[in-house]
Amino acid sequence: MRTAPSPSRSLPIEREIEPILAWRSWTLTGRRDGGGLLLRPVTAGSRPWRPQEVTQATCRLAWSHEAPNPDCSCGLHATRELDTLRKTRCPAVLGRVALWGRVIEHEHGYRARFAYPQRLRLICQFCFWQESAASSRPDVVAWYARDLLVPMCVRHLGVAEENGMRPRRILPAGIVDLRLRETYAVDALAI
Amino acid sequence: MDIGLPKRVIEIEPASLPVPEPAPILEPSVEPLVDPDPQRTPAPTEPR
Repeated sequence: MRTAPSPSRSLPIEREIEPILAWRSWTLTGRRDGGGLLLRPVTAGSRPWRPQEVTQATCRLAWSHEAPNPDCSCGLHATRELDTLRKTRCPAVLGRVALWGRVIEHEHGYRARFAYPQRLRLICQFCFWQESAASSRPDVVAWYARDLLVPMCVRHLGVAEENGMRPRRILPAGIVDLRLRETYAVDALAI
Repeated sequence: MDIGLPKRVIEIEPASLPVPEPAPILEPSVEPLVDPDPQRTPAPTEPR
């Protein structure tokens, strides 16, 4: 490991050979039959994480710098602690991701140039927000317009339907969870 | 999601990429079954 001054913001630079493992959440899209599953960043407009392909960070200011840049917010984000993700918008999938290439370490997480999920699990976002990841066990996956897939427990499916969020189709969560792991060729996330 | 202030830059060059290799495309070991052409199927002969 080597330490040298960074050209930007004087951050120290270190060199390592092992990828960093961190936490990450995504939204999920797929066809009405549960096929064509695709992990998408919770930030609208960001590019999806394609199965069995390295995800590479890009920046809207790519003409001026490569992602991640210390003076920008670009890069593939992940967190050190799982609970930090409870503040994210509409998470459908939780996972452990490997980060490599240029990685900027922050106080509570990372921004990386390259990443790929290592373990994945569907979550009921409402249980995750209100309680924890461990208590977030979805029973079904609701299929909505624009191929949006929302895993939910039976209780929160009822709440969603009472509030006008009636899904167009309901799929068994176990089958979608297995198919997701097969699609990305990763193991189950045990929490 | 707030990940706080940057602390350091790490340049990571893993010996092997943590990405699964694409599954090989397997050739079928046997020819697919073809439905028999009903017009070429010999008509059953009458018992003599």
